[in-house]
Amino acid sequence: MSPAVRLHQLVPGGKIAGDWFAGETPRNIIVGPNCLLDSTFTFKQYFSKAAVGLRLGRDVTLWRTSLATEAQGVIEIGDQCFLANASLVCAERISIGHRVMIAGGVTIVDSDFHPLSVLERVGDTVALSLRGDRHHRPPVTSRPVHIEDDVWIGWNATILKGVRVGAGSVISPGAVVTRDVPPGVEVQGNPARPVGAPA
Amino acid sequence: VISLPQDWFHGGVPDTVRIGADVYLDSSYAFGGMRSTRDPSVILGNASGVYDPSALLVGPDGCLEIGDYSIINSCTIICESSVVIGAHCLLAWGSVIADSWDGGAPLAARRLSMSQRHGEGRWPVAVLKPRPVRIEDHSWIGFGAVVLPGVVVGRGAVVSAKSVVREDIPEYAVAVGDPARVVRFLEPDDHECRHTIDRYRRRPS
Repeated sequence: MSPAVRLHQLVPGGKIAGDWFAGETPRNIIVGPNCLLDSTFTFKQYFSKAAVGLRLGRDVTLWRTSLATEAQGVIEIGDQCFLANASLVCAERISIGHRVMIAGGVTIVDSDFHPLSVLERVGDTVALSLRGDRHHRPPVTSRPVHIEDDVWIGWNATILKGVRVGAGSVISPGAVVTRDVPPGVEVQGNPARPVGAPA
Repeated sequence: VISLPQDWFHGGVPDTVRIGADVYLDSSYAFGGMRSTRDPSVILGNASGVYDPSALLVGPDGCLEIGDYSIINSCTIICESSVVIGAHCLLAWGSVIADSWDGGAPLAARRLSMSQRHGEGRWPVAVLKPRPVRIEDHSWIGFGAVVLPGVVVGRGAVVSAKSVVREDIPEYAVAVGDPARVVRFLEPDDHECRHTIDRYRRRPS
């Protein structure tokens, strides 16, 4: 491998030598053997207070990826997954199976992060302001996201709350996935619709 | 490795990157995913610009060419064989140009490819044969658009924001949506552009 690509062993509760970002990996994570990442910037928005906020299998690669969690959020990623320049934003639970490929610009969220009600959104802007209290926000619904084994997610695709993507399916680049995707199909577009089975 | 002055990223620019005259580089972060063993691996034309956070992901056998005055404004370029971007092109933020995408490969091949990733050499290895991409002179790729393998975006064309380009776009076309469809054509008023280039060049003081 070219020396330009620098990946480091992911160890809980530590710094990375030569990291451009002055951060640390969190302590409340469980990491399988031989997981690599490029920078602790991955955890800049990681605020999980769960006993285990992130669980990684073995041989997982995180490159320029953001694992953002709220206090109750839990992210699980299986063996041999590759995440390049993706954003996972998690209020409750995002679970990803084995050998899942997530390309650049992908966003996966398990919540809308604000209420739908207009009045409650007014309240949320106040709660989030310097005049409010971030710990007393209006209630927001979240629904877990499940990505099953051998799923491939193309560049700039978006996966929204409550979605389950079935094993082996392909999310075409640019797709916006709002509903469950059955196993073994390819979906495309906004909203994403099946375009047939992958080869 | 070439060091840029005051670079916030410590990776440096690989010395197989040919940098033309008056090239603007925000930092060497764009080259943090370079794996090319070719020389040259990347050619940056005169007065072109690469802005953070771009990712020029040139694979072991890839060669990426960016023409004079083209602006790469936080883009991801996947180049396993050949990506050629012409002169005076605009690539907006979040756009992706890729000559390799394995979503169409058989499940067994994809599974094998993922399970072979161990150790340091675990960067994705293309399953399907890469198909070169060409973005011709004077074209404009909108923000968040994706240009897929084998595509030629013709001279002067516009690909609108968030479009997904799956087939060739003709010269001077405006293309919209996923899959990108041509909705109109622009006036080809750029055949003699020397005067315009001179007009906007900074005068020597």
